[in-house]
Amino acid sequence: MDIQNTQSQMRKGVLEFCILSIIQQGEVYPSDIVEKMKLANLHILEGTLYPLLTRLKNAGLLNYRWVESISGPPRKYFVMTEEGKAAFAVLLQTWKEMTTAVDQLTQEKTNTAENSNQAVS
Amino acid sequence: MNKVININFQGRILPIEEQAYEILKQYIESLRVYFENEEGRDEIINDIECRIAELCEDRLKKGTVCIAANDIDLIITSIGRPADFEAQDGFEQSTAATAHNSNDGRQQNAQQNTSGNNNSNFYRDGNRPKRLYRDEQNKVLGGVCSGIANYFVIEPWIVRILWIFLIGVNILAYLILWIAVPSTSIKEVGGVRKRLFRDIDKKVIGGVAAGLSKYFGIQVWIVRILFLIPFIRFVVNFRHMHLFQFWDAPDFPNFLDITFSPGAVFIYIVLWLVLPEAKTSADKLEMVGEKVDLNSIKNTIQNDMEGFSKRAQSWGSDLYNRNKGTNNSNEASESNLEGTATTHNQDANKSSENHRSTENRKGFLYFIGRIITVCIKGFVYFILAIVGISLLAALFGIGVAATALLPLKNFLIEDGAQTWSAIGAILLFVWVPIIGIVTAVIRKFAGLKKANIWVRSSFIALWVLGWVCIFYFGSSLGNSFSRHNLPAEQSIALTNPKIDYVEITAAPKMKYYENNWFQFEPFQGFADEDTVYVRNLRIRIVQSLNDSFQVKIVKLSNGKTVQNANDLANKINFELTQQDSLLYLDRGIGINKIDKFRNQHIIMTIAVPIGKRIKITNKGWSQTNVNINGRGMRTGTIDRISSDENWYDEWNEPWDNESYQYERGVEYKMTKTGLEELRRDRDFKTMEDSDGSSSYDKQEDMSDKEIQLQKLKEEREAIKNDIKKLKEEELQKEKTRVVKVNDLKKDDIGNSNLEKMNKIGKAAGKLSDLQWVLDRFTH
Repeated sequence: MDIQNTQSQMRKGVLEFCILSIIQQGEVYPSDIVEKMKLANLHILEGTLYPLLTRLKNAGLLNYRWVESISGPPRKYFVMTEEGKAAFAVLLQTWKEMTTAVDQLTQEKTNTAENSNQAVS
Repeated sequence: MNKVININFQGRILPIEEQAYEILKQYIESLRVYFENEEGRDEIINDIECRIAELCEDRLKKGTVCIAANDIDLIITSIGRPADFEAQDGFEQSTAATAHNSNDGRQQNAQQNTSGNNNSNFYRDGNRPKRLYRDEQNKVLGGVCSGIANYFVIEPWIVRILWIFLIGVNILAYLILWIAVPSTSIKEVGGVRKRLFRDIDKKVIGGVAAGLSKYFGIQVWIVRILFLIPFIRFVVNFRHMHLFQFWDAPDFPNFLDITFSPGAVFIYIVLWLVLPEAKTSADKLEMVGEKVDLNSIKNTIQNDMEGFSKRAQSWGSDLYNRNKGTNNSNEASESNLEGTATTHNQDANKSSENHRSTENRKGFLYFIGRIITVCIKGFVYFILAIVGISLLAALFGIGVAATALLPLKNFLIEDGAQTWSAIGAILLFVWVPIIGIVTAVIRKFAGLKKANIWVRSSFIALWVLGWVCIFYFGSSLGNSFSRHNLPAEQSIALTNPKIDYVEITAAPKMKYYENNWFQFEPFQGFADEDTVYVRNLRIRIVQSLNDSFQVKIVKLSNGKTVQNANDLANKINFELTQQDSLLYLDRGIGINKIDKFRNQHIIMTIAVPIGKRIKITNKGWSQTNVNINGRGMRTGTIDRISSDENWYDEWNEPWDNESYQYERGVEYKMTKTGLEELRRDRDFKTMEDSDGSSSYDKQEDMSDKEIQLQKLKEEREAIKNDIKKLKEEELQKEKTRVVKVNDLKKDDIGNSNLEKMNKIGKAAGKLSDLQWVLDRFTH
């Protein structure tokens, strides 16, 4: 099995969800998203972020606003639309279900493993 | 020292180094290509541009004077290159993952030598198969030869020498490789590397044309038309194929003929098989790659040429040192011998440099040994290559010839199984292996995997089928020719047989097509679509028994059965028309598509009475064989061949044999002992101008010329006398001048001398002219 591939598949699956959850907290500038994710030890390239944001915007989940900056031209800040909030709620629900399910499964496995270890010892 | 320019980038004024600007431009171009099929492409790129501008400004605020290439590289790395997007799908798994897995030594070497940053992405993939690159480190001109040498792990100069041997065709090949093969030090800005792919998004058949157009950055329809025009033209009229023929290559198709002919189809098929599809977006990026415009080509070549002149200089100075060295001392010469090794091969230089200081002699022996092994290796490779190439070329020649002959097949091959087996033989027996071999070779060079087992085994199966076809076709065609007719001699009545002189010639104003490429004998010319004319005719000249010319012909043909052969022979329609002394031959034996060519042929016998003359001109029917065995006497009389069956023996006899070479355009006279040569046509006159026939033209006006001769002789005497007088005068004057010479100015002497010399020269010239005229007459 290609572990790297699976890893990247898993990460890819939650990527949009992570971004949405950051934007859901309030108006945000794309490079701030990158920073926040880096803090959470998730690395994303800006080159991948921008297309993703544009896709979500075109899907109607996001909207943007031009905010004047102190220096230079105005900057694009992203906010979540009502539609986006609804979608996020659904995703959050799914995520919670999944984490419990995955936790349960992985827990069980490690428990049984521990049990068997104990049995051996 | 770098030029700094100011750019207005997304509403910000940025001072930026020119080099950095170029990198930035290429990066954005690569993004444009990457996001080509994305819905909000312009918006995404705009956002990224904004971000780059912002980051640049941050740097300027921190106190940087201007944006350097280094800064741009860092910014681009933080945003990510298209190749990174593809590989990581959004997440940087770890910073170490982007680190370049070094491959084999060659690539590592390249990495060390070029500015590391640029190369970082290029060798990202650790499992990359062996591929052909131009070698920037060992190049002389464009690095093509050393790249090939690297590929085969041999010395570069072997390849160079082979290359020089094959000069001519390969100049074009070199240029193509120079442009198309990626260099080891290619700049990887934004991960743009150029490769030829098939573009499946825009395909019509296989996406080859679309891929090519992407590669060269031109419109698709241009490539399509280039592929189609020659093909259409071929279908319409394949005889114009030699339009682009530069030199006379009678049976070998030259390069342009392949390019601008049905070869286009062949090339298309090969490319289709060889080129991978552009599946991932990284592939699509590579497909477009760096822009190939005039400017970039110019830049590449300029850079390379600069390097070339430097290398040439260093080579020159090396040579100079060596010459000096041989004059001076032993030690110097030895070290310089190694100097020559340097010019050939830098690797050798590095390794021998280590040896040099310690063991001079050992290094020298090593060098000699190296040369010997390399020579042997090179020789073997050379022979193998020659054999392989010539085999392929022969196969290709057969293929082209057979394909070109296909329009004529209806005149030879029966419909049904025979036709299908013929087409099968051409396609499967000839073209399938060609395509297979060429494809395999290109795949190998391009570093692609071998075609999978199914492709390979189906190729082999098709070829076996080709063998079956060719055997069936051979035997079936042989069967069609197996029997021959029962010949019967027919007399042709001449309107005026008592004439003194007969000239056999082709009908006037008749076109005879000559094709340099294929001599499809016996198919010489073809007048219209339904009939071709073959000129299978032999002429026997014999002695007539009476005083009139007689002509008899025998029609012969092969066929499946005797009956069939008889029918075909009877259908031969051959006209012979007489106009005064001229006998016009028909244009040929007409072959139509129903009756086919079954080796129809005619033997024509002409009986010439004693004392009368005959000539066969060399117009048109140049292929006609003429038989006058034993000067027309061995055959004796017109009735010599008593049994009709013997005509086939007569036909099969080697005619035009050594006993008496008959020449066309020469007039012959029939004597009791046989034919005798009389007079030649003007074409043959030049060789023997002065003898026999030509001399008696002169006799008529000999008296005039003798008078002229006399006059000329007198003139010559007079001029000789003049010259003598002039010379004497000159001598006398010279004597007197010797005395006066001190008084006279030098200029005067020169002038007067010049005048005198001119006079003498003129006289001498006239004299020699006269002498020449006299010589001609006296001879």
